[in-house]
Amino acid sequence: MSAVVVRVQPADAAECARLLAEASRDRHAVRIAGGMTKGYLGDARECDLELRTTSISGIIDHVPADLTVTVAAGTRVADLVSSLARFGQFLPLDPPHADGATVGGVIAANANGFWRSRYGGVRDLLIGTRMALTDGTVVRAGGRVVKNVAGYDLDKLFVGSLGTLGVIVEATLKVLPSPAATDGVVARFADAPRAFAAAAALVRAASRPAALVVTRGERGGWRLVIAARGDAHSVRRAISDAERESLARGGEIAPLTNELTELRELPARAVDGALVRVALPLAAQSAFAETGSRVGTFAALVADAASGIHRIHLIGDDDAVATDAEALVLAARVVEGNGRVERRAEQLRARLGAWPARPSGEALMRRLKSAFDPAGILEPGRSAVA
Amino acid sequence: MRGASLVRALHDLLGPAKVLGTHDELLIYEYDGAVDTATPDAVALPETTADVSALARFCHEHAVPIVPRGAGTGLSGGAIPVEGGVVVSFARMARILEIDPENLRAVVQPGVVNLHLSTATAPYGLHFVPDPSSQKACTLGGNVAENSGGPHTLAYGVTTNHVTGLEIVLSDGSVVRLGGKAIEDEGYDLVGTFVGSEGTLGIVTEITVKLTPLPEEKRTLMAAFATMDAASETVSSIIAAGIVPSAIEMMDQLATEAVEAAVHAGYPLDAGGILLVEVDGARDGLDEQLARIERICRSHQATTIRLATTAIERERLWAGRKGAFAAMGRLSPDYYVQDGVIPRTRLPDILRLVKAAGERHGLRVANVFHAGDGNLHPLLLFDARKGPEGLERAKEAGLEILTACIEAGGSLTGEHGVGMEKNCYMPLQFTSADLAAMRRVKDAFDPAGLANPGKIFPTPSRCREFALGARS
Repeated sequence: MSAVVVRVQPADAAECARLLAEASRDRHAVRIAGGMTKGYLGDARECDLELRTTSISGIIDHVPADLTVTVAAGTRVADLVSSLARFGQFLPLDPPHADGATVGGVIAANANGFWRSRYGGVRDLLIGTRMALTDGTVVRAGGRVVKNVAGYDLDKLFVGSLGTLGVIVEATLKVLPSPAATDGVVARFADAPRAFAAAAALVRAASRPAALVVTRGERGGWRLVIAARGDAHSVRRAISDAERESLARGGEIAPLTNELTELRELPARAVDGALVRVALPLAAQSAFAETGSRVGTFAALVADAASGIHRIHLIGDDDAVATDAEALVLAARVVEGNGRVERRAEQLRARLGAWPARPSGEALMRRLKSAFDPAGILEPGRSAVA
Repeated sequence: MRGASLVRALHDLLGPAKVLGTHDELLIYEYDGAVDTATPDAVALPETTADVSALARFCHEHAVPIVPRGAGTGLSGGAIPVEGGVVVSFARMARILEIDPENLRAVVQPGVVNLHLSTATAPYGLHFVPDPSSQKACTLGGNVAENSGGPHTLAYGVTTNHVTGLEIVLSDGSVVRLGGKAIEDEGYDLVGTFVGSEGTLGIVTEITVKLTPLPEEKRTLMAAFATMDAASETVSSIIAAGIVPSAIEMMDQLATEAVEAAVHAGYPLDAGGILLVEVDGARDGLDEQLARIERICRSHQATTIRLATTAIERERLWAGRKGAFAAMGRLSPDYYVQDGVIPRTRLPDILRLVKAAGERHGLRVANVFHAGDGNLHPLLLFDARKGPEGLERAKEAGLEILTACIEAGGSLTGEHGVGMEKNCYMPLQFTSADLAAMRRVKDAFDPAGLANPGKIFPTPSRCREFALGARS
């Protein structure tokens, strides 16, 4: 990780915008941090200033009957979750780094968990944003209503922008009533095609499971973890669908314990080697996962089989890890997917970039980047664009 | 370049079969589903992305505005060439290119009619979720441009939640592919940025959409109440009870009168307010959910409750809702529909205010709208034959309603778009800094300003008389 000269912690959005304007004027490179959980993302270079959002925190507005909550971006997700729980509601988002991540960081990093197919991802749940820009202004996009087409959807532009366009200072998110019941099962399969076939059947099931995660560790064996949330009737139905589709493909059923939390936190645990993250068309998943699990440095695979997001952890000789990681990202491209090296050990940074493949629409992205950050001070190297 | 010389140049560029340019031919492209009109210099009927690209390049070289048009059902003047130029019709780019059930995706050309896609995918047990009331006519290209909604977006989201890939032609003619069949792409979410940009960032020439499994079963309930207040309080109680139906639609007495005269949906004529509530999904638990909704309706003194037990009964209940705008002809020769959004808990206040605004301007107002989303559709009734002041009064009342929506923390438009109808009102909702941020996006995609000019952003020429200070 690169050295940082000055640390600042603005008290509010206006101060945050003023700091950005000053940095822009003085050509000081700025790193933006919330809970400091995802500093490993991208090819971040040295910065002059580290701007922490954690003082811009707290719940600004929560009208339970509107099913929306407006929250300052430095608020920890865990705090938001416990606050919503007091009203019998939940944030339908289960991002990794659940303990420390802030709302702003989750949005900036587009950090989704396993509930995406059922409830939508960050881009679907975010309905309003305020951001501090490098010209010193604080601007608003979207609003506090669930349906809104007034003007451009800057909310979506900022989701996953990794702080390269501005600093998210406030967000309005959709929330939902807490489910009355939750349950889950784990099915163990002989091979990837069977595990993904069971998942594919359940993605189409009317009972709409909350999570469908295919995983394989070094010791072999393909497991499909199925979670259900809802009223008692629909949860019972989801579990019976899960068992039926798994048994039909030779799966061995066991009850679900705390595995989902552990699987979700793979990005937090993968401090050694490299962690490759790809997004795939659903039908390409089985073959990709098999290929991934056969590379020499394979350590673990965790796949949101309902959304096609796979993470593969690679460990071993540095050269071999770098070669395998690049090959997997390119393999995702071949099947019309895409991907990145999400995390890698410090010593790998020099030889393994975060983006072995460039995004489509890159020229447009660069134009947007220079429109929002003409001095190029925000998060140099952090994203595929900057 | 304008007028006849532009038409001749387009003949040379695309061939005469792909260009319309006579007075009679251009007349039908003067208007869409809203109230404003403007005549294009020419209409192009491209058949391929290459045609669109060549056309855009030509328009770029000659500084000609370029305005995409689907079925012309838009309700904010999005397809109206307010600054002249070429209207691009997608009538000949209307093929479903691929139905990919394995990946739960379809790839379509922009001219495909919304309902045709769901009809084509039904044999696979799949559908395209957004279902605007105009779905029998409106096109998917138009849905992408306007980020269209519909009654069933309460639980399932609007167009932007169901698009994963686009091919777009920028105003300089370059062709860019964004996203694809995977749920997301690396870099900025340009698909999400483009959807809902109303043709002002470029022209979409191919769309990859999500297909969603059809629900196993549906239950539809119609409940009638003595007052709109009782109906709106019922909506809040349903949500507060932790139930998120797939649709909650509301209609007032005047709307009911029109609908019953036109389609005989079976709504009670003496009710002050009517709710249409639908739940869907796995059959397990649906009846229990419906029973809870029914209990909530009764606790708010519902006067009539009817359950649709067959598909035919359900279609009949929905026919009333989906045909409501068309039925307004029974009440009035003309109407002006507004599209404001409010947090749903503010429904009772705002509906009273809508009524008062109508009375102040001597207009009858019918309400038929997406109550679950807080998305109002007051229909302000007037008679254009009696002179232009009817529309003027309707627009004034509409502006009062929108101002109230924004003051309640809502939005100018939930699904109809800003277009040329509300661009002058944008400063009510956004500060000049907010608009400047949007302008940066516009300039990154369309530096020449030729993509559907005069839309979304306030223009000095048309908004001068609308003397509003920007929000500070």
